[in-house]
Amino acid sequence: MLNAVGLKKLYGNIKGVENVNFKVEKGEIVGFLGPNGAGKTTTMRLITGFLYPNEGDVIIEGYSILENPVLVRKFIGYLPESNPLYEDLKVSEYLEFRGRIKGLKGKNLKERMDYVVQRCEIEEVMKKLIGSCSKGFRQRIGIANSLINDPPLLILDEPTQGLDPAQIYHTRELIKSLSLDHTVILSTHILSEVEAICSRVLLIHKGNIHFDGSLDDMRAAFSGGTQLKISLLCPENKGVEMLSQIYNIVKFTVIPSGDEKICSFKVTSKESTNIREEIFWKCYENKIPLLEMSLIKRTLEEAFLKMVSEEREEMQ
Amino acid sequence: MSQIYAIVKKEMWQYFFSPVAYIVLSSFILINSFVFYVVLAAMSKSASPPLSPMALLFGGTFFFWLVLIVMIPVITMRLGAEERKLGTIETLLTSPVSDFEIVIGKFAAAFLFYLFAWLLTFVYVLILKAYGEVDLGSVFSGYIGVTLIGAFFVSIGIFATIISRNQIVAAVISFSIMALMVGMTFFTFILGSGKKEFFQNIDLLAMMENFSKGIIDSRNVIYLISGTILFLALAVKSLEARRWQ
Ligand SMILES: Nc1ncnc2c1ncn2[C@@H]1O[C@H](COP(=O)(O)OP(=O)(O)OP(=O)(O)O)[C@@H](O)[C@H]1O
Ligand SMILES: [Mg+2]
Repeated sequence: MLNAVGLKKLYGNIKGVENVNFKVEKGEIVGFLGPNGAGKTTTMRLITGFLYPNEGDVIIEGYSILENPVLVRKFIGYLPESNPLYEDLKVSEYLEFRGRIKGLKGKNLKERMDYVVQRCEIEEVMKKLIGSCSKGFRQRIGIANSLINDPPLLILDEPTQGLDPAQIYHTRELIKSLSLDHTVILSTHILSEVEAICSRVLLIHKGNIHFDGSLDDMRAAFSGGTQLKISLLCPENKGVEMLSQIYNIVKFTVIPSGDEKICSFKVTSKESTNIREEIFWKCYENKIPLLEMSLIKRTLEEAFLKMVSEEREEMQ
Repeated sequence: MSQIYAIVKKEMWQYFFSPVAYIVLSSFILINSFVFYVVLAAMSKSASPPLSPMALLFGGTFFFWLVLIVMIPVITMRLGAEERKLGTIETLLTSPVSDFEIVIGKFAAAFLFYLFAWLLTFVYVLILKAYGEVDLGSVFSGYIGVTLIGAFFVSIGIFATIISRNQIVAAVISFSIMALMVGMTFFTFILGSGKKEFFQNIDLLAMMENFSKGIIDSRNVIYLISGTILFLALAVKSLEARRWQ
């Protein structure tokens, strides 16, 4: 579907992105994730052909965007970052214009307009000026524009930016339903958004791709194994002694329990080991009652922050 | 082709939504009617009028040039600068249209608007016809001149607005270029005979005088058409350069 090869973009002397390589297969929902200034928008502008790269190329459906720009743009529906719209057009006029400029006409144009209006639920504002529409409607108008010619690939730059929680939910549901018949690339700096919508994540930071894979892979890559909370009915030193004997535990820290007879720990295991079973049998062997054992699911949020802060430490 | 039509249609919606279109049109009519009236009044007093009143309307007065170099920057200034300011240039440039089609679409919209304004002056021809004889040949060539000079100036306006982010800047740029073109005439007065020849070939005032007298000189036509193409080509190139910046 899409193949980005060695993309590099410089703004004068400032690096936009560098060495960006990735492939997107048909049917995927890929999330570009990164903090402000990471290069998400730059990457999207390169794959939509709004900007041309200093190095590299983008191949969509087998065609190079540098060699066949007009043809390739037919395959893409794009919602730019701030969702720019003509304030002084009516919504219906805007969609008609966008449909025509993408090559639709006559009956076909009308059908597609009806379809996107219904799909994005914007009937009620069709006769209004865009300038007088609320933010939620504007966002849907922007998405309707990206859909109008039924392109196989949708590129949405921060589609939920600036919306209230209800609108965010609504927009995410819309994107999810669109992903059934479109390949979607979206960008965000909110992890939960990626968790809510995407099947795959590309972590962009300082103009480079730092991670490319599924959400579970990303969690694993950054959390490095399972984390558990356990509580034992024994003095702390006995508990420490026992846990030290378990080879598959990478690290454990004491959680103050406030009760001398009980000790609690946060335990991190090696990757892909069945640590819970091991702890259970070890307790049985040592005759220590196991009071509690629960899985701490390390959130992506944490992983993300960890990555960004590690970067910062490296720099210092 | 249908993409160009899409752009023209959208620009027309925007023209007639904004008060600018109505202000431009009414000022245009007001000024031309004033000129027409003064000319008629003067002619009715003199026994042997040197020129036909239509010729005076076609470049015969200072007002003709003033209207052109003010009106055209105003009707072109929004076309490119506003897309940049709003950011809609991003959806426009990622649509399946070539930069050439975008420029032609914008040019056609402004040019049609300009022609529409001049179409209104046809009323004067009808009035004159009702009162006496009109040399329709020179009226025709006068309109040809107005059309060609208009195309040339509109292309300058399009170029200026494509390279600007701000409408006012765009208007100032195109106004300056046009003023310089019109001002070339002065060089023909100041300079000696050698260079005078050159400046005479690009003297817009002289060209318009020819057209209004019924003379369609191919050198003038070629000059105006190539000038139009030049500025449109520059506009296309600047759009393209944007993607590489
Ligand atoms: N037009 C521009 N001129 C100069 N520098 C730019 C331009 N656009 C982006 N940059 C720089 O390129 C880098 C990447 O910016 P980009 O907009 O792609 O980031 P982003 O991930 O989209 O950020 P955000 O979350 O804030 O939207 C930043 O350092 C930014 O300052
Ligand atoms: Mg961005």
